[in-house]
Amino acid sequence: MTALRIAVGFKVTPDYEALRPADWARAATGHSAHGEAVRYVRRVFNVFDEAALELALRLRDARAERGLETSLVAFSVAGREADPFLVTLQALGYEGARVEPDADLDFAPAATAELVAAATRRLGGEVLLLGSRCGPGDTGLVPFLAAEALGRPNLPGVTAVEPAADRLRVTFSAGDRALRATITPPCVLAVGNALVSMLRVPTLKDRLAVRDSVITTLTPEDLGVDVPAALSREPSALVGLETIDRSRAGVVVGGATPGEEARALYEEHLRARLERI
Amino acid sequence: MPLSREAIVEGLRRIVGPDAVVTDEKVLVESSVDNFRKLQNIFDVHTMPVPAAVALPADTAQVARVLTWANDNGVNVIPRTGATATEGGLESAVPDSVILDGSAMNEIVKVDPYNMQATCQCGVPLQALEDRAREHGLTTGHSPQSKPVAHMGGLVATRSIGQFSTLYGGIEDMVVGLEAVFPGGEVCRIKNVPRRAAGPDIRHIVIGNEGALCFITEVTVKLFPYFPENNVFLGWTLKDMGLGFEVLRDVMVNGYKPSVARVYDPGDAGIHFSHFAAPDDCVLLFMAEGAAGIAKATADGIQAIVDQHPECTQVPSEYIETWFNDLCWDASKIIAEDERIRQTRNVNRTTEISADWSSINEIYQAAKQRIIDEIPDITMMGGHSSHSYINGTNMYFNYFFNVVGVGPEEETEKYYLPIIGIICEETLKRGGSIVHHHGMGKARAPWVKDEYGSSYFMLETLKRSFDPNGVMNKGTIIPL
Repeated sequence: MTALRIAVGFKVTPDYEALRPADWARAATGHSAHGEAVRYVRRVFNVFDEAALELALRLRDARAERGLETSLVAFSVAGREADPFLVTLQALGYEGARVEPDADLDFAPAATAELVAAATRRLGGEVLLLGSRCGPGDTGLVPFLAAEALGRPNLPGVTAVEPAADRLRVTFSAGDRALRATITPPCVLAVGNALVSMLRVPTLKDRLAVRDSVITTLTPEDLGVDVPAALSREPSALVGLETIDRSRAGVVVGGATPGEEARALYEEHLRARLERI
Repeated sequence: MPLSREAIVEGLRRIVGPDAVVTDEKVLVESSVDNFRKLQNIFDVHTMPVPAAVALPADTAQVARVLTWANDNGVNVIPRTGATATEGGLESAVPDSVILDGSAMNEIVKVDPYNMQATCQCGVPLQALEDRAREHGLTTGHSPQSKPVAHMGGLVATRSIGQFSTLYGGIEDMVVGLEAVFPGGEVCRIKNVPRRAAGPDIRHIVIGNEGALCFITEVTVKLFPYFPENNVFLGWTLKDMGLGFEVLRDVMVNGYKPSVARVYDPGDAGIHFSHFAAPDDCVLLFMAEGAAGIAKATADGIQAIVDQHPECTQVPSEYIETWFNDLCWDASKIIAEDERIRQTRNVNRTTEISADWSSINEIYQAAKQRIIDEIPDITMMGGHSSHSYINGTNMYFNYFFNVVGVGPEEETEKYYLPIIGIICEETLKRGGSIVHHHGMGKARAPWVKDEYGSSYFMLETLKRSFDPNGVMNKGTIIPL
């Protein structure tokens, strides 16, 4: 049985939960306003990436129970803000790497995907796990474009991965259906709403054991990626973000009879909504 | 002859009415613990005796009748309102206890902007009272992290403190008067006056009694003018907790009253501030508030003090303001934390103590090192000081561990209690207090005699006098 190397690409994002409504409005009014509004917010793992990182650890553990060797590498296209997260991942058994971009890659899926694909080639990884999407304004295109650049199949909406002899048994969702596929790497797996969504936590002793570990730092040049050229090939450009008003309120629907109440409910509250669908 | 469970339920139904007595098994099982054994509720594995019923009295008269009946029949009563306790104070330590839940007594009786005080029943959520005060441009000044979910009765009963305590004080500084019911059914009202010297301050028999002496039915608290537009936020990074304590001391000794004054150690800072603090950085932060002149003078004074320490590196105030705006725990955060524990078995616990300026850093260093050395599976060991006084400060130990090799029901015995033990030992050794603001509950009750020393006589006498039959929250403050 051959060893398997799994690469997981992850992104560190602002903790949008920590933003007040006023900051949200500012964050969602456009590209530059977004950057300003989230500058002072603490960083967290993108939730889908966090699930991908834990799924990879569980796949490693499951393979180890069968005597199968697995190595893990985690990387992020990011600045130094990703380093504390990479240290945590090293303590969990990942090798850590960071691709330092020379341009702002927020809302730039094509350029990001080129870097992700190139990093995967450089760092190795028959299986590339990525989160399906990231924060507000994310297109969800990166896994598809990275798979295309790597010349690999991509399974979207992955919710579980298990070892199956030489292969992997992958559970994923397509529309409202859950499907299971047995595949042979190489492949790209885009992790969606997995039940396992939270990363385990290393102990202080785990951290101490890797305190001398080095985070590999790569530049686009190291990877042979011309970022400005890649940016010029972006299929679309973000020109603005708007928050969707999801506020709710309760009202008492009046009427002398159930029929009158139903009519009032339809006329006053449902008709306009139904017409917008 | 103790009453049967059926007789207890029947007795309660006669007093508060059948609709106000809950006997649903799931509710009872969940009510057998509080957040001290929160893993038992998260994983639905329970080990504590199941209460006989949860009773929800509608008014003070019903509370008095329940306590009279319980006292006559030797039924253990556990007073509760918002159920946010963290130290086992709401655990049913003995079988067939009654949870006397004041959450249905939730009327804001009066907001009096002229006399700057508000009266409310015990089951009023602090957030509700705060919202009402804000309608008048006022604030309670009380803001524990549990503000959205905690109720006024419980906050007074546990001697709560809020995040702005350095300016407004703890709940004991805010309570003007109150009403409480004692086991024999005696209803006592302490009137609302600015101050009096008519003997001992009997408010303090009630404040912090943790349901071990009486049931609080109503409280009157002070109100303060609210000037959020004047808030000034200040923050620094530094490499040494000892220096952080020194700066806090300088600020307090020089008479400044910031509403928030904190120093975080590197571990704790890593949770909140890793987007601007290095892994070995401590974070020192302040918020000045109040009328414009006061807020500005406070901020200027603090700035001048910290400027005398070139080891402190100032950070943009927006970092501190953004952190501040996300401080409180609401229901969604509690649900998210429970899910994280369920998936990762990584548990966050806290223990808060206080000591004078001479001892606090030693206690922090000694306890931290012992916990790292002696307790397995620790994933983060740190803490912060968040409530300072002219003569000392508190230390809020904040720690995480993975629950490994034992079931969720054994988490307290394997990890939590041994950690509490270390912190209590190191604190008592240096003359500090083992509880700053969470209450003794049942978790820290084993250390009560060491905590009180010779004054334990007074505590024991209070318990014997007010609760001679021992029916009030057995095992809380004074162990079984």
